[in-house]
Amino acid sequence: MPPLPVPPACAGIPDSDLAGPFPVGEYAAALRKKLRSFARVQLVGELVNLRPSRARVYFELRDPTGAIACAAWRADWEAIVARAGGAPAEGMQVVVAGGCDYYPGSATSSPGFSFAVIDLRIAGEGDLLARIDRLRKQLDAEGLLESQKRLARPLLPRTIGVITGEGGKARDDVLAALARRGWAGRLVWGFAPVQDRHAAPAIVRALGDLAAVAEVDVVIVARGGGSLADLLCFCDETLCRTVALLGVPVIASVGHHTDRTLLDDVAAVSCSTPTHAAEAAVGVDCRRARSEQAAAAARLRDHGRRAVLSRAQVLARLSRAPAAHLDRQRARLHQQLREIRAGSRRRVESERSLSARRAVVLRRKAESALLDCRERRPRELQRLALGLAGHDPQRTLERGYVLVQSAGGDPIVTAAAARRSREQLRLRFADGVLPARLDER
Amino acid sequence: MTDDHNGSPQPPGERRQSYEAAAARIEEIIRRLDSGEASLDETLGLLGEGKALIELCASELTAVGDALEELRLDELVSRLEQEAGG
Repeated sequence: MPPLPVPPACAGIPDSDLAGPFPVGEYAAALRKKLRSFARVQLVGELVNLRPSRARVYFELRDPTGAIACAAWRADWEAIVARAGGAPAEGMQVVVAGGCDYYPGSATSSPGFSFAVIDLRIAGEGDLLARIDRLRKQLDAEGLLESQKRLARPLLPRTIGVITGEGGKARDDVLAALARRGWAGRLVWGFAPVQDRHAAPAIVRALGDLAAVAEVDVVIVARGGGSLADLLCFCDETLCRTVALLGVPVIASVGHHTDRTLLDDVAAVSCSTPTHAAEAAVGVDCRRARSEQAAAAARLRDHGRRAVLSRAQVLARLSRAPAAHLDRQRARLHQQLREIRAGSRRRVESERSLSARRAVVLRRKAESALLDCRERRPRELQRLALGLAGHDPQRTLERGYVLVQSAGGDPIVTAAAARRSREQLRLRFADGVLPARLDER
Repeated sequence: MTDDHNGSPQPPGERRQSYEAAAARIEEIIRRLDSGEASLDETLGLLGEGKALIELCASELTAVGDALEELRLDELVSRLEQEAGG
């Protein structure tokens, strides 16, 4: 584009006491020179509205009483990032070093004031942590760290609300984890910025909207890792108080394992990753639960069948019991009868054998007795007769002896007895008796 | 940061009998039946209750097993507002 022609000098505003008019370009250049002459200083404030461009990085520095536009050349910014170990982010308290500058613009570009930043230091991270800690203690003292944990959390939610960045990886992680669980219910996405000063109000709004939907059983707030400044919005007091007072359980998954935001403390459950958050939201493996339910149904059917069958078997057994009892008794009687018969046979045989033995003994005794009668007794009788004959007085008389007897026939053995007998004596000889009289003259 | 995967959620109550309560009751019923101590009347009662609970669990699992339905919150809010207004 060809340069615009310089307008001819023109008259100023009538009756004005002010100098000029001056060509604006000259004035702009003079203004820049004047601003650049100001002393270079350090400013401290909250970094907001960060807008990187190809050549420069623009942002604003704010505090409760005012703000100032800042700009840094890309090379200076990269050096700052390298020194800080990470890019300064929205919401950070920073100290900048530099001075006032003014871009005078041109025929085709707009002018602008900026504080030319040549160095930057992230300030007050310790202060920030202390402030977060104070807020945590305050929420704890008010019981707000426990209210979410007391909420009923369904094992198998039908509707899950998820608040996350629309283009973030957390969304894919949540979907993948739910798919692994075999869960395919209703998912309500509350997309919201998850880092910068707009994040906390947007998340609060989304939480309120989700909690107002009666079907939502649980809400996941998910965001990937980041610096403390990136996660600062999840320490927002309004956000934390809102979560604490919600009637629906909130599962927080903000940052990595080492990060801990106030939202993690306030939420019903705090998870290290969006994947874990999704697994915590759906407490059962739906595929396994389906097979377990099928198995439980089969077991119940089996119990039902067995309950009826076993009792039917008992009834059948009971109905057969009398007949079985009779059979048993009959068999027992038969057995007893057989035993009695066998016993009787054994007894008869035994008696018969005993009788036979007795008969033999009797026969032997009879034979022995007969033998006595026939042989031994005559011999004995003869022996006795002989013995008796030996004592017969007749035999003695026959040998020449005389037996003196009284008249009555009684034997008189002694002389005194014969003297006393004044009667007639009898003298018995072997061949007869003669009367006799004792004459002692 | 800690994970909490083994929390013991309470039954949500008013809207519907919870899946977890139903699943726990089914396990209890099966344990009772396995013990063999239930009378015929109790067995039949438990079987009826267990069957109803399994149907409940099956319906809950079916509700989250057919097809994933994804909605945007702003669209859902608009729809609900329209339903409330109309």
